[in-house]
Amino acid sequence: MISQFFILSSKGDPLIYKDFRGDSGGRDVAELFYRKLTGLPGDESPVVMHHDDRHFIHIRHSGLYLVATTSENISPFSLLELLSRLATLLGDYCGSLGEGTISRNVALVYELLDEVLDYGYVQTTSTEMLRNFIQTEAVVSKPFSLFDLSSVGLFGAETQQSKVAPSSAASRPVLSSRTDQSQKNEVFLDVVERLSVLIASNGSLLKVDVQGEIRLKSFLPSGSEMRIGLTEEFCVGKSELRGYGPGIRVDEVSFHSSVHLDEFESHRILRLQPPQGELTVMRYQLSDDLPSPLPFRLFPSVQWDRGSGRLQVYLKLRCDLPPKSLSQELSSPEQKAELGEGALRWDLPRVQGGSQLSALFQMDVPGLPGPPGQGPSTSAPPLGLGPASLSFELPRHTCSGLQVRFLRLAFRPCGNANPHKWVRHLSHSDAYVIRI
Amino acid sequence: MTDSKYFTTTKKGEIFELKAELNSDKKEKKKEAVKKVIASMTVGKDVSALFPDVVNCMQTDNLELKKLVYLYLMNYAKSQPDMAIMAVNTFVKDCEDPNPLIRALAVRTMGCIRVDKITEYLCEPLRKCLKDEDPYVRKTAAVCVAKLHDINAQLVEDQGFLDTLKDLISDSNPMVVANAVAALSEIAESHPSSNLLDLNPQSINKLLTALNECTEWGQIFILDCLANYTPKDDREAQSICERVTPRLSHANSAVVLSAVKVLMKFMEMLSKDLDYYGTLLKKLAPPLVTLLSAEPELQYVALRNINLIVQKRPEILKHEMKVFFVKYNDPIYVKLEKLDIMIRLASQANIAQVLAELKEYATEVDVDFVRKAVRAIGRCAIKVEQSAERCVSTLLDLIQTKVNYVVQEAIVVIKDIFRKYPNKYESVIATLCENLDSLDEPEARAAMIWIVGEYAERIDNADELLESFLEGFHDESTQVQLQLLTAIVKLFLKKPTETQELVQQVLSLATQDSDNPDLRDRGYIYWRLLSTDPVAAKEVVLAEKPLISEETDLIEPTLLDELICYIGTLASVYHKPPSAFVEGGRGVVHKSLPPRTASNESVESPETAPAGAPSNEQPDVIPTQGDLLGDLLNLDLGPPVSGPPLATSSVQMGAVDLLGGGLDSLIGGPNFVAPPAAAVPANLGAPMGSGLSDLFDLTSGVGTLSGSYVAPKAVWLPAMKAKGLEISGTFTRQVGSISMDLQLTNKALQVMTDFAIQFNRNSFGLAPAAPLQVHAPLSPNQSVEISLPLNTVGSVMKMEPLNNLQVAVKNNIDVFYFSTLYPLHILFVEDGKMDRQMFLATWKDIPNENEAQFQIRDCPLNAEAVSSRLQSSNIFTVAKRNVEGQDMLYQSLKLTNGIWVLAELRIQPGNPNFTDLELSLKCRAPEVSQHVYQAYETILKN
Repeated sequence: MISQFFILSSKGDPLIYKDFRGDSGGRDVAELFYRKLTGLPGDESPVVMHHDDRHFIHIRHSGLYLVATTSENISPFSLLELLSRLATLLGDYCGSLGEGTISRNVALVYELLDEVLDYGYVQTTSTEMLRNFIQTEAVVSKPFSLFDLSSVGLFGAETQQSKVAPSSAASRPVLSSRTDQSQKNEVFLDVVERLSVLIASNGSLLKVDVQGEIRLKSFLPSGSEMRIGLTEEFCVGKSELRGYGPGIRVDEVSFHSSVHLDEFESHRILRLQPPQGELTVMRYQLSDDLPSPLPFRLFPSVQWDRGSGRLQVYLKLRCDLPPKSLSQELSSPEQKAELGEGALRWDLPRVQGGSQLSALFQMDVPGLPGPPGQGPSTSAPPLGLGPASLSFELPRHTCSGLQVRFLRLAFRPCGNANPHKWVRHLSHSDAYVIRI
Repeated sequence: MTDSKYFTTTKKGEIFELKAELNSDKKEKKKEAVKKVIASMTVGKDVSALFPDVVNCMQTDNLELKKLVYLYLMNYAKSQPDMAIMAVNTFVKDCEDPNPLIRALAVRTMGCIRVDKITEYLCEPLRKCLKDEDPYVRKTAAVCVAKLHDINAQLVEDQGFLDTLKDLISDSNPMVVANAVAALSEIAESHPSSNLLDLNPQSINKLLTALNECTEWGQIFILDCLANYTPKDDREAQSICERVTPRLSHANSAVVLSAVKVLMKFMEMLSKDLDYYGTLLKKLAPPLVTLLSAEPELQYVALRNINLIVQKRPEILKHEMKVFFVKYNDPIYVKLEKLDIMIRLASQANIAQVLAELKEYATEVDVDFVRKAVRAIGRCAIKVEQSAERCVSTLLDLIQTKVNYVVQEAIVVIKDIFRKYPNKYESVIATLCENLDSLDEPEARAAMIWIVGEYAERIDNADELLESFLEGFHDESTQVQLQLLTAIVKLFLKKPTETQELVQQVLSLATQDSDNPDLRDRGYIYWRLLSTDPVAAKEVVLAEKPLISEETDLIEPTLLDELICYIGTLASVYHKPPSAFVEGGRGVVHKSLPPRTASNESVESPETAPAGAPSNEQPDVIPTQGDLLGDLLNLDLGPPVSGPPLATSSVQMGAVDLLGGGLDSLIGGPNFVAPPAAAVPANLGAPMGSGLSDLFDLTSGVGTLSGSYVAPKAVWLPAMKAKGLEISGTFTRQVGSISMDLQLTNKALQVMTDFAIQFNRNSFGLAPAAPLQVHAPLSPNQSVEISLPLNTVGSVMKMEPLNNLQVAVKNNIDVFYFSTLYPLHILFVEDGKMDRQMFLATWKDIPNENEAQFQIRDCPLNAEAVSSRLQSSNIFTVAKRNVEGQDMLYQSLKLTNGIWVLAELRIQPGNPNFTDLELSLKCRAPEVSQHVYQAYETILKN
């Protein structure tokens, strides 16, 4: 049972404060939370904090703190899930989640909270169900252009990509106002995979796992049926065999509860009637057994001259993707390297599939010889040299090989325009680490 | 509409302006005004002055406006209770509105207005809404009952809302069921005794059905509720598990964890041989692994839970070591949790992999994490014996890096490894010594000094090394100082010739120049030990140390079992029981795992045993060894009859010493897992005296009212032996207090004064509770009667015979000694009546060797008379039955030192030829039996 919920700005100012159970404490609680959070020692977890018998659970989303408090022994999982659902919901209703949108839509947020939580019990977090109850309309800051397609990016994906190319298409309320008839029929379907790789210093692969999900954001009227066809060779578990090829194999799959699986066994088709808004249709994961080679191999070699304190790092990067594919442009327009915060950074704008790049870095690391003092980590001598970590984004590529064959909509709009369907595939690095 | 319209700074007339807008005729304007008011409210401005104006807007058909007004009301009603009453009429009216949204809104808001006066108006609308045709209204009303209960619990009970709520559990709408379950669970928590959530197979079945239909949040309520149920046998547990298992693949982690909780709990009841048990174990792993790919916050909470699960059932995740490998970009709190779990999962099979990982972590940049990784290597060495060698060599590799904090941490853990595997890895000491200079942390310095001291005989320059530490003795932390002191003393004991000067130096530093009492005391102890008995000093200081335990950081098993019941709650994150952090009274009911039932396996299930026979399983009443120890300690500490318990350790030690060998014989051997006694009373079903008849028994008992039998006074000290002083006396026990009644007679020719009395140590610690008070001088040929109160908190020494008491009496003439035997029944305490179940279990538990049989001859009393007589002396009849014309009395009594004596008394009434009584006594301290028998005889024959 949740006692209070509040949203704080990144500076700790309360934007929304709601008390569900008439507990004492009032607004000071929000301040107390912020003080506790900022004063927390480094290795302590901020996830669950408590002060006397009030427990704080929070997530950070788009620079805001979403905080729930409770004074009872309830499930922290449900609180965390709820907070992230609330983040999604607020995004769906107010457009994007942010300090500005929240303070413009205070009344709407309170109305939502009242329907989502009653006396601290979660009632529903479904955008669709809430539609029946919500009266207030969202206040939107500026009109948006649906045809601003150049900036259509991935919605919500926490990737390097989203930082440079924010999607304006996705940052509008799902529930456009009842009066607005110029509503556009659009569906976004993304297959996003996160790749974690650990390579030992001798080049052997220690661990690889892929976490994938298929996400859908629909602006279509609710209840319109759609069918998503996946690669037919898709198999689940270690034993299943399908098709003639090696198959696309994953270890574990879970589906959203609204997905009908009657055609899944036979044709790998997911049938669903999604509500408007965002939805994770399917989640899957596989580990150890990747069907394709790893996208990148890095061959580092390090030389250190103890006498002069000169450190030479030679990095060779090979991209094992098919030649025609490109890795996505990263934030920097051109190649550059810089040193800072105890790490050397090498930025590459893009890498051609099948190509190979190498670089030699020479650094003078003074103060290394002699008895090592307990200095900052930058002075860690070569034996303590940390691992190399790669972060990248691969558009139009999935490491598991899973593809969406088709997305069919049963829905025919009464208007003129056919619905726009956007199907995208993307892999990005989660923790791609090569030990030196 | 501009962005910050609602947040414009307060101008002078803002409130006034808002007031005007609120009273405007235009609906749109009103709406905007209320929105502005709410925005001001949120940023903390006081807009309570607008209360009447806002309430005026309440009567509207516009749902949006109505909601806004209600929102305002919820916030301010508490501070303005009188005004809130103004709104009541509208609320009541809205509860009848044709639109279900408005009905629900009204009942929801009314519940949130925590004003006592409003509650009475709430009852009628709430009653209607609980039976509303619309499920949305019903589910809102269900929650409202919980709200109302929090404000006024009595009202809710009086109005019968709880029954209505119970009915809602069978509602057709799963959302209503979920809310009803949640509300009932919460109400039940504040009344732990009430049987609100009556969980039985039928209601469980209903819940399981609703589970499949309701929303994810409802599923959580229902699963948490299921976890409180205890299935009646393993079959029911299995069938519930089967129906809960599909929840494991739910996308909502809270649903998954609540399901895991149910499964972990009910699994406890399943037999490990069952195929299903294995299947279930396999099914638990994937969902837990999946959680580790979630956001870091969820990961952390999941890891804390997995930590518990791994300790309880390591087999679930034993093949999943890899998922706990630390990722480079994990937050530090996730890394540390993963590290902990890796060590818990470490075994001979995977240790190579784990060590390779840990070694990598030890070269990362984050200092805190590196330190923890090094410690982890040490813990692996201690946990997995076969890997110790490998761990040590890994640690040596790390020491070679010369990274300062790595070296220091490594030395600390190597010390632990030495403690676990003494004399095995001394070869590394040389390497450690090389790094002596770089150690600057107290813990590492102390560890190094310990190693040098412990292995002083193998380190040639140990004296030099320690001497170098001694230079800055006063700048060291206490930890290092203490360690240095001990190490030098060890060194001295091992190499006395060369190190005399060094030890002198450290002892004087510790005892004379230090302000630290710990250090000073330790210094003095060593000093005195060394100066009085060097051999003893060697035995003490160089004594073999107990090996350190394999895993010191495991959660204690009973706590772990309790925490397993709280999987997926805050308790599982804090690793503390809820009572430790939840406000008193709520939710602090201790939970425990259900016992494993094996109804279908055991050859003799309880049902097949003959009816009425005592059940074999009463584990809770059989006193454990710990209890017995407690009993024994009572011997030393004195019973709780009177006087403060002497709980200082020195007293205890002294007493134990004094008891010496007597102690062992008094317990009757520690292993009393005896075969079932042949003489176990098989049926205690005979009617027993009720409390009332006990009372009558008491009054109809022997002459002394509510006191035990008192023997006539006997001469203890004849006058001729005591220069004219004659002492006769007896012992009495009345309502819990023992006294010694003395008659002092002066048979000399001179006046006697200055009387005092003292007891020698005796078996039961009898001692005078007050000084002997003889007020006037005792003239020749005069007698005085004195009652000297006694207690049993004196020193204890076993006497021969057991009830021997040696007394010294002093007067102005001399000191006189005499000894007397006291009847044991003065030590029988008033609460010596044992519960029947307890009696049965204890009787079985005491080995047969301890049984003693006696005959009480020529005692022509019937059972009633015997029973009542004995009872007045605190021998209680627990049960009585008639076997073949003989009356069997089962009796219990307790001595002041907590020793229980159990008796079986056989009486043959109505047979003038057989007037003998047969007495069987069972006691853990068989020595007392003889004296108890004497007490019986004394009581019954007089």
